[in-house]
Amino acid sequence: MSDEHTVKSFDGEINRLNDVIIEMASLTKEQVRDAVTVVVKRDSELAGEIIEKDPAINNLELESHELTMRLLALRQPVAIDLRNIVVSIKISSDLERIGDYAANVAKRALVLNQLPPVKQARTIKNMGRVTYDLLKDVIDAYEHQDVKKALDVWHRDEEVDDMYTSIFRELLTYMMEDTHNITACTHLLFIARNLERIGDHATNIAEDIHFMIKGKPPTGRRPMGDVDGEFDIFDH
Amino acid sequence: MTNPDNNSSNGKPVFPQEKIKIACKRVNVYYGDKHAIRDVNLEIGKNEVTAFIGPSGCGKSTFLRCINRMNDTIDICRVEGEIEIDNENIYDKSLDVVLLRARVGMVFQKPNPFPKSIYDNVAYGPKIHGIASTKGELEGIVETSLKKAGLWEEVNDRLDQPGTGLSGGQQQRLCIARAIAVQPEIILMDEPCSALDPIATAKIEELIEELKENYTIVIVTHSMQQAARVSQKTAFFHLGDLVEYGETEDIFTNPVNKLTQDYITGRYG
Ligand SMILES: Nc1ncnc2c1ncn2[C@@H]1O[C@H](COP(=O)(O)OP(=O)(O)O)[C@@H](O)[C@H]1O
Ligand SMILES: [Mg+2]
Repeated sequence: MSDEHTVKSFDGEINRLNDVIIEMASLTKEQVRDAVTVVVKRDSELAGEIIEKDPAINNLELESHELTMRLLALRQPVAIDLRNIVVSIKISSDLERIGDYAANVAKRALVLNQLPPVKQARTIKNMGRVTYDLLKDVIDAYEHQDVKKALDVWHRDEEVDDMYTSIFRELLTYMMEDTHNITACTHLLFIARNLERIGDHATNIAEDIHFMIKGKPPTGRRPMGDVDGEFDIFDH
Repeated sequence: MTNPDNNSSNGKPVFPQEKIKIACKRVNVYYGDKHAIRDVNLEIGKNEVTAFIGPSGCGKSTFLRCINRMNDTIDICRVEGEIEIDNENIYDKSLDVVLLRARVGMVFQKPNPFPKSIYDNVAYGPKIHGIASTKGELEGIVETSLKKAGLWEEVNDRLDQPGTGLSGGQQQRLCIARAIAVQPEIILMDEPCSALDPIATAKIEELIEELKENYTIVIVTHSMQQAARVSQKTAFFHLGDLVEYGETEDIFTNPVNKLTQDYITGRYG
């Protein structure tokens, strides 16, 4: 949003809203990074920190909603301003969900840390890195209004979905091999599922950025928002 | 966002032939040496509300006045190009301007009732155009027009009182009733609410919504919100150029032109 409004305080309020979203985004990004570390390094202390920090993200979401309401009521925004504000509502709710998933990963990691280590925890490391990169890039795209980067994220989500599918298969085999692994592997499965959902929300954000800048959603083949039905046992 | 019935191409609405009420072709307007409207091509849809927006002095009123040849009354004003209403060029020499003005009514920024009774204000037009042949018929037209203008309930017990004694909003609805009384096809409105309070404005906007069932309406407004609320199509003018014309929804969510965007979002100089 390059040019300034004739009414300067309008710019002030819009900038404030965008700052809150960016603050929320960087906090969420750290949470996801730390959640993956917790699983890989079996770091229960860090897990506790993640769980403690989650409410801060929720509070930022509420703050962004208040700013949004105020802008809509007092400024009657249109065109780029309207799209920016509407997209802020959507992005803040995606970030809030991502924060929840990160906290959920931390909670499951705490349980895992009580169990003997399983080698599959390492496969989470890869998926965690790819998911984190996706999130980091989409947040960069938002900060710099970079449609190209947003589109790139939009296309890359499939990678996370594929990883999830293969981890699912791998864990399943492992559980069948030795029933002692079932508890740990179930938690790992849920963790992988959480990461996969984080990827989906990052993809939503990528779509929103495209809409904000271009005024329409991205075209072309829509990446699958969800993994195959056969693996959808965790929904509802 | 795009309505398949209104297949806009490149931001410009494309009407099927039978939906076009007014077709403006290469319209140029000059006041002496001043080039006030530059080569404007624009089609206006039947039974729709079309809004003209743009900064002061960009030519909205000038262009609006071309549609009923009101500019003819300004000596130094020269209009070039063609404006067709129902495929008939209104600048054709054989056209009767008095009849044209009956087909194309106009409502102005400042309510301007005649210094006569409420009844006479509305009855005047039908009388001079010979629309009513009996007193009873005339009374019928006055009543229907006042009803269509949403004023009947408020004035039916004092039709003999002067129109100038009404409130601003009532006067403006009286002017709309006066315009309707001659059974026009098109109603031009030049900032009809700029002298009215929010309640009176809301009543006029509600009226516009109802009137579009039977009339084609073109409204000049400097309230962006009003254009967004009442119109189906919006045309944005700047320094005499038609910069952008399209579905109102598209103009206010995703305008194509940067000038339009700057103007409607309040980034204009
Ligand atoms: N009667 C007139 N004589 C000379 N110039 C005029 C006259 N009416 C309008 N203009 C000029 O034409 C331009 C367009 O004016 P107008 O149509 O009234 O703009 P708008 O309605 O968009 O504010 C302005 O520069 C204005 O000064
Ligand atoms: Mg004007």
